[in-house]
Order: sequence, then structure tokens, then C-alpha cells
Amino acid sequence: MIGLQAYLVLAALVFAIGLFGVLTRRNAVGILLGIELMLNAVNINLVAFARFNGDLAGVVFTLFTISITVAEVAVGLAIVIAIFRVRRTVEADRLNLLRG
Amino acid sequence: MTLETVGFGVVAALLLASSLAVVLTPNLFHSVLYLAAALVLTGVVFLLLEQPFLFAVQLLLYAGGVVTIVVFAIMLTERLVGDRIGQASRHPINGAIVAAAVFAGIVGFLIQAPVRATAPAPAGDTTAALGRALVGPFAVTLELLGVLLVAALLGAVYFARSEE
Amino acid sequence: MTLPTRLPLLVLLLPFAAFVVLAVVAPLRRAGARAGLLSIAAMSVAFMAALVAWVEGFRGEATWSWIPSDGGPIATVGVLVDPLSNAMLVLVTLVSLLVQVYSLAYLGDEPPASLGRYYTYQSLFAFSMLGLVLSPGFLQMFVFWELVGLCSYLLIGYWYQRPAAARAAVKAFWITKLGDVGFVIGIVLLWSATGTFDFGELFAKAQEHALAIDGLGTIMFLIYLGAVGKSAQFPLHVWLPDAMEGPTPVSALIHAATMVTAGVFMVTRAQPLFALVPDVLILIGWVGAFTALLAATMACVESDIKRVLAYSTVSQLGYMMAAAGAGAADAGFLHLLTHGLFKALLFLAAGAVIHAVGTNDIFRMGGLFRAMPQTGIVFIVGTLALAGVPPLAGFFSKEAVLSGVWEAHLTVPFLMLALTVLLTAFYMFRVVFITFFGRAFEAGHPHEAPWLMRGPLWLLAALTVAVGIRLAVGGGEHEAPGWLVPLSLASAFVGFALAWAMYQRGLVDPATFSTALAPFDFLARRRYGIDALYAGLYRALVLGFARLIGWIDRYLVDGVLNVLSALTLRAGAGLRGIQSGRAQDYVYGVAFGVLLLFVWAQLWR
Repeated sequence: MIGLQAYLVLAALVFAIGLFGVLTRRNAVGILLGIELMLNAVNINLVAFARFNGDLAGVVFTLFTISITVAEVAVGLAIVIAIFRVRRTVEADRLNLLRG
Repeated sequence: MTLETVGFGVVAALLLASSLAVVLTPNLFHSVLYLAAALVLTGVVFLLLEQPFLFAVQLLLYAGGVVTIVVFAIMLTERLVGDRIGQASRHPINGAIVAAAVFAGIVGFLIQAPVRATAPAPAGDTTAALGRALVGPFAVTLELLGVLLVAALLGAVYFARSEE
Repeated sequence: MTLPTRLPLLVLLLPFAAFVVLAVVAPLRRAGARAGLLSIAAMSVAFMAALVAWVEGFRGEATWSWIPSDGGPIATVGVLVDPLSNAMLVLVTLVSLLVQVYSLAYLGDEPPASLGRYYTYQSLFAFSMLGLVLSPGFLQMFVFWELVGLCSYLLIGYWYQRPAAARAAVKAFWITKLGDVGFVIGIVLLWSATGTFDFGELFAKAQEHALAIDGLGTIMFLIYLGAVGKSAQFPLHVWLPDAMEGPTPVSALIHAATMVTAGVFMVTRAQPLFALVPDVLILIGWVGAFTALLAATMACVESDIKRVLAYSTVSQLGYMMAAAGAGAADAGFLHLLTHGLFKALLFLAAGAVIHAVGTNDIFRMGGLFRAMPQTGIVFIVGTLALAGVPPLAGFFSKEAVLSGVWEAHLTVPFLMLALTVLLTAFYMFRVVFITFFGRAFEAGHPHEAPWLMRGPLWLLAALTVAVGIRLAVGGGEHEAPGWLVPLSLASAFVGFALAWAMYQRGLVDPATFSTALAPFDFLARRRYGIDALYAGLYRALVLGFARLIGWIDRYLVDGVLNVLSALTLRAGAGLRGIQSGRAQDYVYGVAFGVLLLFVWAQLWR
């Protein structure tokens, strides 16, 4: 029997990998991919807790998370495309209008 | 070592491998494909956790929807820019250290957390129970989600429309 | 409130109303002569009222509480009407009126706007001086005291484009302020000891011998310091000659007849208090007599006609103060009144001369009697009055002062004053002979002043004679020693004769005379080094201190602030680097935050 811990460690690993991707990717789309990974890790956590606590709410929550993720991806990509039209680049390093 | 354990080990290994591939492949298009693989494998993890409905949702929405959108986006920007989008990593060592530290922090918590009794495997059709929960206690949340999706749709259209 | 207080209040408020109207209604002020007519109209009504109050001999006091507190007001304002203030009211309004009329012609060439400004100041001055005179307490007196100082500053600096006038205005302000510091400290000390500013209460206490305060001598000395500054007593007399940079009518009004006598008036008013401290009184007498002598010697070598009169004013103020110090404040006050008349006359006549000749230097005048006999006559009348020739007004008041000082057994001051009589006659006739007689100067065609100027001159001359005759007829009650009149007359005659011999006949060469008295001549021409001393002190102390403060401000205060601001800027620039604008760097921040949360949870929970 695989314990809760194993799933949580797996999720943590995926989360860390996703974080690494977010931190290191130069391409805005790449960063979005990293975020997807992190969200997936969260989903694994939610489902694992739901399974081992016998509570269906976690699963429902995962459904919501997936839907919101889809929305986020759609909007995020739309923004990437809009920025790309204006700045002719999707390199995150160049998108530094927020600089103080 | 049971079959289940072996299955989990294999799935976990594959998931980690494809995740790493997502963040390390220089070619953006490849990393999207690896992401699709990773998402499918996550769905398999859901299967291991006895949630077949979630597996289906994961497959349809994520592997089907999200990956398709991303591919479209890449193709669009590529078409606009005229050459293939590669991607290098910036400060990979810093990122690795920070990511590893976060991981270590989480694991540190997991080690300290008390082990709890495992609930019995769900009996019967969880999908039906899920459906009842969605239109029962979570009905309002579901409706709000619908609103959010509409808003996201409109926002995406607004952002991505070409300026005329 | 009855007529005896209401009428003086009217006298007080009329110039104030004129001032307010002129100050507020700019078009009227810019109209120049019309502004002057308004001011003159207010002044003449005020003069009538003052005359009525004086003739009727009004007495009364009306006060209103000013600073409220538990157990009655701390201070009151109001009017105190008695013969002293009535006489001053008449003098102030009369001279103000005549001077304002005279100024219409004297300053007729001024641009209308600045002439309006002049009359605005004049009205304010009249108000301030009348308020000072009517003050029923030290506090109100101090307020008006400072107001007249302000007006003096404004009017000396009337031609503020001239550096000399601006400097003189500042000097007058500064030096009188030196005395005023003592004055205000003295007032406050007196108040803290007695709990009242009110003259009436203070005098009542003085009579009941209830004023046995420790350090009353010091307090009265400090109050006297105010009079030293205002009435140009040694060693604070240096501002008055410089104040001659103002227009001549201003000199006549403020720096001869009214404001400079405020110190004498104050000492006279507070006589019951000064009487309690004989030491201070003796000091006042000595300083007054010394001032009289010192200023007279300086007047003898001065070539600027207005400055001669200014030194003469200082000298005569010394007489008044000496009388006050000798306990003969009435004599001093009488001299104040008569001196106000004939000194205003002299100044206005000098103004007419200056107006005609266009210079202040007496050695560039000469033979003017033929060109302007009327001015010459009134000037000689004033000179005779000042020199103390009977039956003119100055004679009687000066005799009263001298006898008062003699009877107070202040022998040395008496001798100084007697010598001053001689010098007074000498320097005044020196001016008369050089200016009105002697060789005529070729340049220019001096002519008699217009009637607007001559009218006041004649009026003042007539008053000088009339008051003298009035005193000769009715004022014979002082019991002077019999040798006094011959002595002072002889002194005056010697002075006159000396001037005549030196400047009219040329019997004695002034140059040989001055070599004979070389040390005095040397010192007097350099004003005894007092101005230089003050200038040096000013430069060394005030400017040095200012430079020190400036250095501290520039390098210490500003330095600290500059360092602080530089640090802030540096820190800001450093912190700015954190805001790279790249979203991923912010994700690092989030990750570190999460890590911090982990650490916090591990270590502190």
C-alpha cells in the first residue's frame, strides 16, 4: 500500500521542478508551462488528501482547480500574444516595464 | 512489493522524468509535448488514487485543451516572429538551489507531520457522488466558476484580438 | 465714559482712521496730495479736540480689560487724561498738523504714490504717538512705544532708494531697540513684582510705600534704558544725527518735537516711581547733563545744518533728562513743550532753506537773509529761543531746568549744563551767521518758500514768542537763585559773541580757534569715536556672531541634512535595484518568502 507520504513527496518534487521552470525559463510560454506543472502538483496533493481522508471535497476542489487553470492558461497566453504583438518578443528578461 | 507499489514507482518515475524534460528541453515545442506527457501521467496518478472521473477530466481538459491552446500560441508567435522559438535557461543554478530549498522545506514538514489513519477505499461509484456534490453543497461555487470562465473567455478574446 | 475721556479718545482715533483709510484705499493713497488733505483734515479736527481738552483741563481715565485671567484682567488698555497728557496731545497734534501742511509743499515734487505713502506713515505716527501719550499703563505705552519706533524707521527710510537713508533707518531701529530691550524687561519685572502695569495703581502703591521691592533700582534702571534709546541719551544717541536722512518735516516732527521726547515723557510720567530710587535719578541727571554737553560740542563742528539741529536736539533732550533726574520733572516737561515748538520751527525753517538751496552744507549757503528774509527771521526767533534769550519760550524752561538741577545739588551736571548754554548759543549763531549772513553763494537763486511752508513757520514763531510772553507774565513762581539768570544770559551772550566774532566779523579765525582746542576739535569731529566704536562692535560681535551662526547653519545643520538626504538617496538607489521589473525576480522573492515561512515555522512555533 502506497502511503499518503509518497504522493505528497511526489507532488513536492513536481512542484519544485515547476518552480525551477518558472525561475529559469526565458520564454514567457515556458514560464506558463512551469506554472502548469506546479498546479498539477497541487492537484495531486488535493486528490491524495481526498483519498486518504475519505473526503470528496478535495476531488471537487481539484475539478475547480483544473477549470481555473484552463482559464488562466487561456488568458495568460492571450496576454503573451498581445505583448508579443507590441514588443516583438516573449523573452521575460526584456519585459521589465515594472522596473523601479 | 506489490503490483500497486511497482505501478506507483513507474508512474512517479515517468512523471518526474517528463516534468524535468518540460523545464529543461531547449526547444519550446518539445517541452509542450513533454508537458502533455506529464499531464497524462498525472491523470494516471489520479487513477491510482481511485478517481477515474478526474483522470478523464485531466485527459480532456488538460492534455486535450491546454496543450492544444499552448501549441496554438507557440505557432502563432512563431509565425509572427518568423523563426523558431528556442529557449535558454537563465541562472539555472540559482533556480535549482531555490527550488531544492523549497522542496526540502516541504519534505521537512512531511517528516514532522504525524501519520494518520488511512480511510478505507471508497465504496461504489465515486463519480455519482462527485456529481451530487457538485450540484449539492458546491452548487454556488460551480456557478461562480462558470462566471469566471466566461470572464476569462472574454478577457482572452479581448487581449488576443488584432488591433484594427 | 464721559467727555473728558471721550474727547482724547477721538483725538487718538482720528489719525488712526485716516491711516486705515489711506492704507486700505489704494487709489486714494496713490492720489498723493489728496491723501495728504485727508490726513490733514483728520489732524486738524484732532488738534481742535486736543485744544479743547487742554483748555478745559480734562482729567479722567477710561480703561478696558485686555488680557483676561482669573482674578481680574492682567492688563488694561485705555486712555489716561491729565494735564500732562493734555499738553502732549496739543503739542503732538499741533506739530503734526503743521508738519503735514508744510510737507504738502516741501514734498510737492514727490511722485503722488510715495507722497500718499508718506501721509499714511504720518497718520500712523500721529496715532502711535497719541496712544503713547494717553497710555494708562506701561504695557500699552510699550506697544505704542514700539509703534512710534516703527514709524520712525519707516519715515527715516522714506527715500529707501538711498543707501544712506536705508542704513540710517536700520541704525535708528537697532539702537533704539537696544534700549527697548531694557524697557520691556523692566516692565515685565515690575509687573511680576507688583502684578499691575497700571500707572494709577503703581503710583498709589508708591505713595503708600508699598513698593519696597528688591531690585526696584534695577527695574527702574532698565525702564530708564528705554528712555535712553528713544530720547537719544548718551551712549545711545548716535542714531539721531543719522536719522536726518529722512525728509526734513519728519525730522521736525519725529526727531525733534515728539518721538524723541517720548523717553522724557515716560520718565516724567513715571516720576513717582523714579522718585523711589534716588540712585537711578542721579544717574539720569548725570547722563542727561553729559549728553547735553557732548552733543553740544559735536554740534559746534558739524557742517550739515540738519545735523547741527539734530545734535542740538540731543543736547536739549539731555537738559530735559537732567531736569527729570534732578527731580524737577515739571521743568523738564516744560522744556519739552517749548523745545518741541521752537525745534520744530528750526527744523522747518532749515527745511525751507534746504528746499531753496538744495544742499545741507552750511558752508555752501550764505547771505540767504536777503533772499529769504521771512525764513531768516523765524530761524533767528527759533535760535534765540534755543539759546535761551528772554522773553522767548526757551529762556524760561531752560532757567527752570537749570535751577532744578542746581537745587538738587547736582553741581557738576549743573556746570556741564551751564557750559552747554554757552555752546548752544555759539553753534546756533554759527549756523545763523554762516547761513543767513556773510558772503552770498553765487550758485542758484534762492527764493522764499511757498506759503504752505511759511505759514507753519510763522505760526510756530508766533507761538514761541507767545508762550514765552505767557511764561514771563505768569510763570514767575520758581525760586531760582538770583545769580542764575545773569549767569545763563552771560553764557549765551558769550556764545553769541564768539560766533559773531568768528563767523561774522572774522576777528577770530575758526582754524586757530580749533587748533587751540585741538583735542576737543579732533574728538568732536570724529563724534568722540562712539559711532566708530559701535560700528566696530557691531562688526565684531553681531556680524561675527552672524557669521558663526551662518557657518554652523551651512556646515553643521545643512551638513547633517545633506548627509541624511545623501544616505536616503543612496539607500533609495540601492533599493531601486531590487525592482528589476522582471517577473521572475519577483518569483524569487515569493520563493524566499515561502522559505522564510518554513524557517519561522520550524524555529518559532
